[in-house]
Amino acid sequence: MTTDDIFGHMFQEFPENSEWDVVIIGAGPNGLMAAAYLAKAGLKVALVERRYEIGGGLATEEILYPCYSSNPHVIYHMMVDYMPVIKDFNLDGPSLLWIKPNAQTAMVFEDGKSLLLTQMIEDTKDSISKFSFKDAVNFGKVMRSWRRIVDEIVAPATYVPTMTPIEMSMALQKTKVGQEMLELIEQSPLDIINNTFENDRVRALMLYASCMWGLDPRETGIGFFVPLLLDRGMNKCYCYGGSHKFASAMGREIIKAGGLILEHAEVSKIIMQNRRAVGVELAEGRTLRSKVVMSTLDPHTTFLDLVGAQHMDKDFKALIDGWKYDKWSFYTLHVASEEPPRYKCDDPWINDAFMTIFGIESTEQLLAHWDNVVAGKIGANFGGHATCETLHDPHLSDKPSKHISFFQMHAPYEIQGGWEKKAKEMEEAVLAKWQKAAPNMKRENIIMTVHETPVDIETRFPNMRRGGIKHGDYKPIQLGSFRPNQECSSTKTPIEGLYVCGASTYPGGLVLGGPGYLGANKVAEDLGVKKWWKTTPEMDRYIKTYLT
Amino acid sequence: MSRDERYDVVIIGGGPNGMTTAAYLSKCGLSVCVLEERVECGGACETVEPIPGVRIYPHAMLMYASPAPGFEQLELHKYGFRMVWNPEDMMRSLTAGNTTTQGVTRITEKDAMGFAKLGGLLGQPPFTRELMRATFWCPPHPPEVEVTDENTPYMQVYKKYQPDVCTPELRDWTMFELMDEFCESEPFKVTMAFAAWASGAAGHWEGVAIPALLSVQLLILPNTGKLSIPRGGLHGYFHAIHRCAVAHGAVVRTACPVEEIIVQDGRAMGVRLRETAAIGGRKIWANKAVIAAVDYKQTFLKMIGREHLDPSFIQKVKDISLKNGTLYVSTYHTRKPIQWNKKFKAMQESETGVAGPAKVASGGVYPSDSRELYYENVADCDARKSLPTLPPEKLMWFLTPSQAFNPTDCQGRYREGYISAAFEVNVPVPEYQIEGIDAQDKEKAKLDAYMRKAFSQALDGLEDENIIHLWSATGREVEFRNTGLIGGTWCGSRHCRDQSWTRRPMPELARYRTPIEGLYTCHQTTGHPGGLCLMAIPYNLMHILIEDSIAEPGKWWYPSPYYIPQKEKVSAIPR
Ligand SMILES: Cc1cc2nc3c(=O)[nH]c(=O)nc-3n(C[C@H](O)[C@H](O)[C@H](O)COP(=O)(O)OP(=O)(O)OC[C@H]3O[C@@H](n4cnc5c(N)ncnc54)[C@H](O)[C@@H]3O)c2cc1C
Ligand SMILES: Cc1cc2nc3c(=O)[nH]c(=O)nc-3n(C[C@H](O)[C@H](O)[C@H](O)COP(=O)(O)OP(=O)(O)OC[C@H]3O[C@@H](n4cnc5c(N)ncnc54)[C@H](O)[C@@H]3O)c2cc1C
Repeated sequence: MTTDDIFGHMFQEFPENSEWDVVIIGAGPNGLMAAAYLAKAGLKVALVERRYEIGGGLATEEILYPCYSSNPHVIYHMMVDYMPVIKDFNLDGPSLLWIKPNAQTAMVFEDGKSLLLTQMIEDTKDSISKFSFKDAVNFGKVMRSWRRIVDEIVAPATYVPTMTPIEMSMALQKTKVGQEMLELIEQSPLDIINNTFENDRVRALMLYASCMWGLDPRETGIGFFVPLLLDRGMNKCYCYGGSHKFASAMGREIIKAGGLILEHAEVSKIIMQNRRAVGVELAEGRTLRSKVVMSTLDPHTTFLDLVGAQHMDKDFKALIDGWKYDKWSFYTLHVASEEPPRYKCDDPWINDAFMTIFGIESTEQLLAHWDNVVAGKIGANFGGHATCETLHDPHLSDKPSKHISFFQMHAPYEIQGGWEKKAKEMEEAVLAKWQKAAPNMKRENIIMTVHETPVDIETRFPNMRRGGIKHGDYKPIQLGSFRPNQECSSTKTPIEGLYVCGASTYPGGLVLGGPGYLGANKVAEDLGVKKWWKTTPEMDRYIKTYLT
Repeated sequence: MSRDERYDVVIIGGGPNGMTTAAYLSKCGLSVCVLEERVECGGACETVEPIPGVRIYPHAMLMYASPAPGFEQLELHKYGFRMVWNPEDMMRSLTAGNTTTQGVTRITEKDAMGFAKLGGLLGQPPFTRELMRATFWCPPHPPEVEVTDENTPYMQVYKKYQPDVCTPELRDWTMFELMDEFCESEPFKVTMAFAAWASGAAGHWEGVAIPALLSVQLLILPNTGKLSIPRGGLHGYFHAIHRCAVAHGAVVRTACPVEEIIVQDGRAMGVRLRETAAIGGRKIWANKAVIAAVDYKQTFLKMIGREHLDPSFIQKVKDISLKNGTLYVSTYHTRKPIQWNKKFKAMQESETGVAGPAKVASGGVYPSDSRELYYENVADCDARKSLPTLPPEKLMWFLTPSQAFNPTDCQGRYREGYISAAFEVNVPVPEYQIEGIDAQDKEKAKLDAYMRKAFSQALDGLEDENIIHLWSATGREVEFRNTGLIGGTWCGSRHCRDQSWTRRPMPELARYRTPIEGLYTCHQTTGHPGGLCLMAIPYNLMHILIEDSIAEPGKWWYPSPYYIPQKEKVSAIPR
């Protein structure tokens, strides 16, 4: 007799095999959004997540254990003003609170001078005027036109299915704003910045702000990102209570609509039958069968590891094989301290800024630093950005009046000497640099530190391969209708029943609210369910002007 | 327009007890709002990943809840509840023996049989479950009912299945006395007594022999004899409860600390949030009830204005005793695995290490030589209340059982080094600490070194060169992390006879009602059975809320068979 016979099982568990309309792989922002829309549309949805907590990049965790929580990944929410999910699920109000400081991005220099990018144009112009009156005037002028590009085109297009480059340029020809955007596309970020501003420090700040999410400053064909990332970089929001709260809010919408969320559920296989995807198998052995499988993982994981090369034709497999990961990742040092960093500079307002860049003295140095990173090195010339999270959110520290900050910089996945050795060295170098910029960041002020290297990012999220925060590089042949490739950029794949809607699908990475939304739209259409949501007014205007 | 919100029931605190209550009440069709101070719900039932790929459980890690009616009543399986079954069963781990300064001592047949008998293993199958449920999942009897051998739930179960256990003294005994009767070897008894002490009901306390013993047995017996845990640890189980609540319409608000319980004319009307709350310092009104699923100190000494409570009640609240130490938990990250030393070869050989490449030491109480040693430890912590005065060789510690069978275990995927099982040591509750409330924090490095010496008595691998990192938290840090864990303890108030069952934590509060009308308590510190993530307090509270016509559950509800309705109230037994 076994012990099982003596006691009998005392409770029931989630079944070994179950049936769903839709199974979604990965509960990052995109998986959560797709699941929330589709569950509310009445479909039977299961969202399966490998980690112990939903959220993917939307994490708020006590990595400074005990007592201090941080946002180890997403902290700057740049599309809150546009994401349909916010309005459709009422996520701006009691269930989620967004804080958008006016002092957005500061840059401090060794000589104590500083620059500040604010939400309100005139404050930025005032700051730029310290260096160049002409640049201040130009800033006002270009931002006027760039904001229109973002507002009328780039932002709404994020939530509308992509077009081919030819269709796109034909559409953009229709308006003056569109033509301005076309001109920008052709240029590199560096050219755009250099042509617009004369002062090198102003240029350095603008270049950092537009390329920090992984643009190659010298690459042409991606110029439209400059207005987007600059404008959005001036409108970053903080999610009060931590970024994870955004994930929890979406998670609750899924549950309220009758959906299922399984954590600790690593998908080991997408089940194929008669050339169709018909469900998933979990590493623990359970299966979830479904009409549709949506993957938010990178193309290599989805197609090579989970589907299997035997189910793809040669050409398609070649497209998948050709996928390139982000050119750089992040190294982040998280710190709990007695006091918030106080920067030594000419503008006390800097201490309230949401993001503060330091260590960068010139565009030349910035470019050299990025070149180093791409070559697998970090030199003494590195710089990066820092945020003091507790300035905006007291909930992150369990101990009263203590502070939590981080410093983040671009870093290669493969580094000379290896991260295991380099990480600790970097910590010393970062603290030394930080102390130079903010003299109170000395060891006595610091309670605890923890670093996250690109390898650590990949360990937490195997789908962020090589620490790729966007699941794949931003370059012309991996953007727009080429993201992740022409066959899949609509979210539907050549494999019947399989959709892709993570950061590696159009429109791309960061918390844009794009891929998951577009995936949900496509699946709703293909399964013939009624959409309960409507396009936003911005989208309507865009569609009317450019797509009809 | 008012920014304030209104619900039928407002629950303060999103720990396991608050959330389970939310699930029960929303399933009854009530509109419910849970307000949680931290950025994440879960209370002392959580998982953290301080370094990528390594998960640690700061508090709860072992599954004691298996017999809970909540699994069925809340249908947790629908919300993704899954277990990871330990391939090894209890019988095997028991044979490894007990660890004493002399090495491993055998567990005798009499030990095993006595343990089995008391846990209901020798009776028919429902015995174990009924026994556990009677002890933990039954509300205390109403004040007008005198508690006797005849109406004590566990006595009734023993009478039915194992009558020879029932003796006139059983309800008065200490756990040591009980084990002297049924078991044989001293190290076995000491191990059990220490495990009970670390479970909040010590081996030497009067009159709690059976609940103390069963709190240890809960760990093993109902999990079909295997020390198994939920997939994702206890936080995974918590998720299923949380989702059940949300699926039934409960509104959950994190980063929303409650500052005040609004009382008017002796009745709880709602709560006011702290100004920093994620929805600002609003008021949240309750039509039917406010449920404090946070500790009694906050509830009665901070959140309610003094004018609403009489001084004798406040005195009693202040006198609730926390004296049973707090658990100082340490988890090591090492280069080579920590293993039992030569003297404990038998222990090392019984390690499973299914998921990991090497067998990391786990599961033991050391040193379990004698009850004198046990008493010396109790005296150090509960009597002297000082930083440790015993030499490290005498410090008793508990190494949690292995979870290496579990792919979600901290060691599961980590690429380098080894993560130890958690070490637990009893230290005084900070507020009683004679050297001052922050003495442990100030001396943390010394305490860690002292404990390391103590652990090294039986284990290899705790040398400086081998340790990459140590995560530990003092009682005060635990209390900072989670305001409900007063004193950092895992049950909050001592589970001694004077503070348990119909007296937990004092007679006036035993049935989860309070001197404030419409205010109920539902926290480990405030009600029977106390600590552990059992879904027991909420189940027991349900009886009372039905009595008060607040909850009207559907057909899925069943009360405890040992429940006695209060006079002149609606009975929780469905007609
Ligand atoms: C350090 C860092 C900082 C960042 N900062 C910002 C920022 O400030 N602002 C911003 O907008 N973006 C930021 N990002 C980028 C952002 O996090 C990502 O682009 C975004 O999270 C992508 O969303 P996603 O839903 O496509 O995928 P992810 O967020 O990567 O989610 C995918 C999910 O799938 C799960 N998964 C993986 N494998 C499996 C499997 N086999 N089975 C089941 N589940 C699986 C993962 O655990 C994960 O939860 C940052 C990223 C990093 C790493
Ligand atoms: C070291 C340790 C080990 C343990 N091991 C186990 C184990 O292995 N197995 C097991 O079953 N149990 C274990 N426990 C016990 C178990 O974790 C607790 O008994 C259980 O979590 C108590 O649940 P609760 O809901 O009563 O309180 P808590 O878990 O304390 O939850 C209370 C909640 O209220 C919130 N709160 C506090 N103040 C406010 C406020 N003013 N406003 C709003 N919200 C507030 C808190 O943040 C918290 O989330 C352990 C505990 C400890 C400390």
